[in-house]
Amino acid sequence: MLAMDQGVVEEWLSEYKTLPDNAVSNYAASLKDKGALVPALYKVIRENYSDLLEPVCHQLFEFYRSGEPRLQRFTLQFLPELLWSLLSASSARDPHTSGCIEALLLGIYNLEIVDKDGQSKVLSFTVPSLSKPSVYHEPSTIGSLALTEGALSNHGLSRVVYSGPHLQRETFTAQNRFDVLTFLLLCYNAALSFMTPSSLQSLCQLSSRVCICGYPRQQLRRYKGISSRLTVTSEFLVQLITGIHYALCNGEVDVGSKALDDVLYRAQLELFPEALLVGNAIKSSLHSAALKSNNKEGPRSIQVEITPTASRISRNAVTSLSIRGHRWKRHDAVDLGSPDELMEISELDEGVWPGLAAPSDAAPPTITISNSFTTPSLGARAMKKCRLGGRTSKDKEAGPAPGGRAASESAELSVKRLTLTSSQSVPKAGALSSLTRTASAVFSRSFEASSAPVPNHHHHHHLLHQAGSDAGAQDAGRYSCSLQEEGLGYLSPGRNHTPLSTSISVHLGSDL
Amino acid sequence: MTARKSGSRLETEIERCRSECQWDKIPELVRQLSAKLISNDDLGELLLAECKLQTYLKENPIKQGASPRGPRPKLVEVRKHLTAALDRGNLKSDYLQEASLLMAKLCYVEGEYRDALGHYGRVSLDELQLAGAPVYRLSIIAESYATKGLCLEKVPTASPLLSNNNTGSPALSNRTACERDQEIITCYEKSGDIALLYLQEVEKVCVSGIQNRSPKPGPVAPDQELGYFLETGLQRAHVIHFKNGNLTRGVGRFREILRAVETRTTQNLRMTIARQLAEILLRGMCEQSYWSPMEDPPTVSPLDDPSQQGHTHSNKTYSLSRRPRIYSGENLFCPQENTEEALLLLLISESMANRDAVLSRIPEHNNDRIISLQSASVVYDLLTIALGRRGQYEMLSECLERAMKFAFEEFHLWYQLALSLMAAGKSARAVKVLKECIRLKPNDPTIPLLAVKLCIGPLHWLDEGECFAKMVVDMGEKAAEFRAKGYLAIGLVYSLKATDASLRGTQEEYQRKALGAFQRAQSLSPTDHLASFYLALQLAVSRQIPEALAYVRQALQLQGDDVHSLHLLALLLSAQKHYHDALNIIEMALSEYPENFNLLYTKVKLETLCRGPEEALLTCKHMLEIWKSFYNLTNPSDSGRGSSLLDRAIADRRQLNAMTLPDFSDPDTGSVHATSIAASRVEQALSEVASSLQSSAPKQGPLHPWMTLAQIWLHAAEVYVGMCKPAEATACTQEAANLFPTSHNVLYMRGQVAELRGNVDEAKRWYEEALSISPTHVKTMQRLGLILQQLQRYSLSEKVLRDAVQVNSTAHDVWNSLGEVLQAQGNAAAATECFLAALELEASSPVLPFTIIPRAL
Repeated sequence: MLAMDQGVVEEWLSEYKTLPDNAVSNYAASLKDKGALVPALYKVIRENYSDLLEPVCHQLFEFYRSGEPRLQRFTLQFLPELLWSLLSASSARDPHTSGCIEALLLGIYNLEIVDKDGQSKVLSFTVPSLSKPSVYHEPSTIGSLALTEGALSNHGLSRVVYSGPHLQRETFTAQNRFDVLTFLLLCYNAALSFMTPSSLQSLCQLSSRVCICGYPRQQLRRYKGISSRLTVTSEFLVQLITGIHYALCNGEVDVGSKALDDVLYRAQLELFPEALLVGNAIKSSLHSAALKSNNKEGPRSIQVEITPTASRISRNAVTSLSIRGHRWKRHDAVDLGSPDELMEISELDEGVWPGLAAPSDAAPPTITISNSFTTPSLGARAMKKCRLGGRTSKDKEAGPAPGGRAASESAELSVKRLTLTSSQSVPKAGALSSLTRTASAVFSRSFEASSAPVPNHHHHHHLLHQAGSDAGAQDAGRYSCSLQEEGLGYLSPGRNHTPLSTSISVHLGSDL
Repeated sequence: MTARKSGSRLETEIERCRSECQWDKIPELVRQLSAKLISNDDLGELLLAECKLQTYLKENPIKQGASPRGPRPKLVEVRKHLTAALDRGNLKSDYLQEASLLMAKLCYVEGEYRDALGHYGRVSLDELQLAGAPVYRLSIIAESYATKGLCLEKVPTASPLLSNNNTGSPALSNRTACERDQEIITCYEKSGDIALLYLQEVEKVCVSGIQNRSPKPGPVAPDQELGYFLETGLQRAHVIHFKNGNLTRGVGRFREILRAVETRTTQNLRMTIARQLAEILLRGMCEQSYWSPMEDPPTVSPLDDPSQQGHTHSNKTYSLSRRPRIYSGENLFCPQENTEEALLLLLISESMANRDAVLSRIPEHNNDRIISLQSASVVYDLLTIALGRRGQYEMLSECLERAMKFAFEEFHLWYQLALSLMAAGKSARAVKVLKECIRLKPNDPTIPLLAVKLCIGPLHWLDEGECFAKMVVDMGEKAAEFRAKGYLAIGLVYSLKATDASLRGTQEEYQRKALGAFQRAQSLSPTDHLASFYLALQLAVSRQIPEALAYVRQALQLQGDDVHSLHLLALLLSAQKHYHDALNIIEMALSEYPENFNLLYTKVKLETLCRGPEEALLTCKHMLEIWKSFYNLTNPSDSGRGSSLLDRAIADRRQLNAMTLPDFSDPDTGSVHATSIAASRVEQALSEVASSLQSSAPKQGPLHPWMTLAQIWLHAAEVYVGMCKPAEATACTQEAANLFPTSHNVLYMRGQVAELRGNVDEAKRWYEEALSISPTHVKTMQRLGLILQQLQRYSLSEKVLRDAVQVNSTAHDVWNSLGEVLQAQGNAAAATECFLAALELEASSPVLPFTIIPRAL
């Protein structure tokens, strides 16, 4: 270490100590003008045996503790270098040299896991859901695609996930080391935009070394530091990848892509799905971005071009959007007259409505609803099928041998099936509710026919009942499902007609 | 508007056609118009000029980035119409303005930028009314702003304004350039805002038009297409921001466009912009530099290019009399963090990309398929990055599942789905998807290895595991560094199969195979501590203690703080009856892994032997404390389903714990044993039923914390049994029983306590119950055998003990009991054999079975 560097560091050490409290802010702003300081500090950290290491670590901790964001970021920029010092020392089983670095890192960790009042911090993250309106969308325009069973169970709820509270740590042990380091990387990643290029390079270097030391690839990279393997965890690698990703997109293309390759190499050897997942995604997304723009202008690789707004997909190609209308048309063509087919349909429906087969007690029913633009009568059709299923079993009941256990079972079965009531907004409500067995095949069509030209804004509104042990009389375990469609003026088979807004609401509740 | 009020049917129709861009109908309408109103030829000129210009642009669209190509013969007519209308000046002022704007546009198309700017100067765009204007006029105004911006960009900065004061300092000219840049951007931003407004309005008109004509839907307007000018107006502003390195304003502009209520025409634009904004949020921002869409951006941001700092005007510099509608309402979700916002945008983008999935496989649609696949996979990759950061792998697997309609023969999507399922813990499905991945990329050794990892870990599908491991081994040299891993994998499969095997012959056969595989792995990769460690473990299981010690020491040299190696070392030392050394090792290991219950169980055993049961009880108490500090700390959301997964992004303590927890129900057989899996399933099911009856049991949430707790109580009970304190032992057992009333371990312990109390019949009943749940629980079989012997039912006792030996041929106390039974039956020769076997086995028997150490890839 050069005497000049030493001088710079010593000056830095003494200057902060004599600083009055009200000058801290100005001091923090002036730090970036001290050009020779940061490289000198890197040298101190790299040379483990330097006498300056301990006071430097101490002062970096003081910076962090000051609470002044610029001072905290000044400390954070050395985090990758400090992590590497710690990891390489611990692999060499040389506990003395890394003592003050350990203390600094634990100090930062213990500061970060509590808030200003010293209470344990709980980080929260709201998982956005398309079923809830946001500043960028309206659930009804998203249509049905997101309406899976999972989406339904979270319908209208925004899920919040928490991290923490975290335990205070007094020492590093093999068990907690990566918990602490992963958390520290998380803090570092939260301040990535403020990190200098040299810090990002140091992060990439750390990632490469941690991942390849002791493996054959070490020769490829010509790194001759330590040669023993370092343990890693998948979460630690994921955090490293997050930082590498930022570095890659903000000027550090060469070291960044090397580091990403090395992390992926290690993740493959360790069979870590999480790190592989995120690493592959970054690689593939950067690959496609690189294909698009070969010109590299400026340090940031964030580039935006004017893109054509018209769909680039030709109109006659079958897409998931267009096929839906298609499928429903074909269903309409099914001849509902033959009882065999009715049986088939009802069997099919067992799969679609798993809630039906289950005993109607507290178990929440799982209902899968798919909706499509061109088929506002979906609810009716699904219910029709259920109804038909019920009918066929009743037919059997009325057949040759009523009585005995089988009959009572099938009676119970039919009771458990859905019964349909339609609400007042359908003009022919009376006709619907008085549907007889023989009419049920015709029912769907008459229903559609009657609902199509309705001019009001709520065109139809069905209520689906699943009665409990006693159909209708008891309301135990009742689930209602209502389906509302707007803009039925579009109801026609033409492809270009789509309802303006489609809203589906499903209420699951068991009134006991 | 006057034109509107006089509104004959014809004029309304003209207005509608202009709004809906149905230019082909205009000439006919103009003919009707001129037939009706003779004096108003000028309006006809205007309309014809407009329709001809628009038709021309539709047929010869201007490409982005290309400059207009000078005068075109086809446009001569347009100019003629416009000049006529403008020269006569008979038009109403509105129409006159429209004519001027059209003229300016024409000038731009012909490359006469200065002329165009001159026309714009005369009209003064900013004073045109937006409120109450007919829809088509919004489009004209929006296009005009965009065109003006384009012209300003084209005309060199040395404008007449500057040439006047050429002597000005460079700083001054720099400032002027700056102002000019700002003017250009404002033009585009206004153009974009008005364009959005126009599209919203035009859609409103279309809808009402259709409703009026229902039920029979008339001819519908074809899909609107944004022309070159509107596209430029909507996008050029943010492109300039990003080109200038001004991320803050670029992001702000993106957000403004996205917050405007969507129209059918803007869907593709929104999809693109949402994706681009998400990219920026993920690639160029961090939590500390983020500001939410509802907040003002920070005045100084590290995101902006510092050299351009002077350019930034963080606030909007213009206002419009009418703005596009934005999403509004109560309880709108507004992201508070960059990953949240990125995720929301990506979900929106995904829902659109997904809708455009091209399903047909015919060759003509090849290109469409590639386009739809590309746009979707970019979105899915970004979703993976965002969700991976927050550890939301379950949600990710659901998203990637939706990508499957694109995935035919697409390796990347299949592989990502498999990995996400694996990370989400959906092991069985992950293996199925991995199979498809192997089919698509048969030469990649990682994929079968991932499958083996799942097969020998959570799934315990050993036959499948063997298949996958063989694939890797069969790759030979091609598998390179993974070859050793392949041998390790197949060794583990055999080792686990040996534990499962009920016949001694097969057991030994598998043990031999396992040993061979581990040796191969170790020789292929001598620096891999896992190879040495598993070789040591396998040697230990076959009771080759000295050899095992050598390899475990080698493993420790390679990886000094590996918890399993340390544990194995301690057990090996205990097998050699060096209990104090073993205890020292355990204590050393515990200093590195203070919260590892597995080590603590061994410590309890060793302490009972070395330091007496009181010490062991203290350790049990310590374990209870650790348990409490662990699971009490966890936050409230932990009890719910799929919660607190964020923890996994920040290293999950419990996951670590789960890995070292051998088998959640059985402290005896460390690695999962086939029958004990079945038993623990029964146990789980029964316990759920039982605990639903007694509401006091705290049993929400993940299961294994409670299993750990039950195990701690059972260990304490065992210590008390050793101290002959039946009351305390009962109390401890009861605690475990509250959690898992039907666990065979609990029943076994109850039997022990009953034996201690001298209630032989009761003990027998407990043991029988335990065996009915777990028929291969060796310890129970041994105790039952002993009791049957006491009851002088020798042949039954012999049968039970022989079964026990079949299950585990290294249990010396079973051999001993068997010897006693045979002796009692007078079969001295056979008894001797048994005693000898017992003696020999006891000499190499550890305090807890070696198999307590988990075996996983």
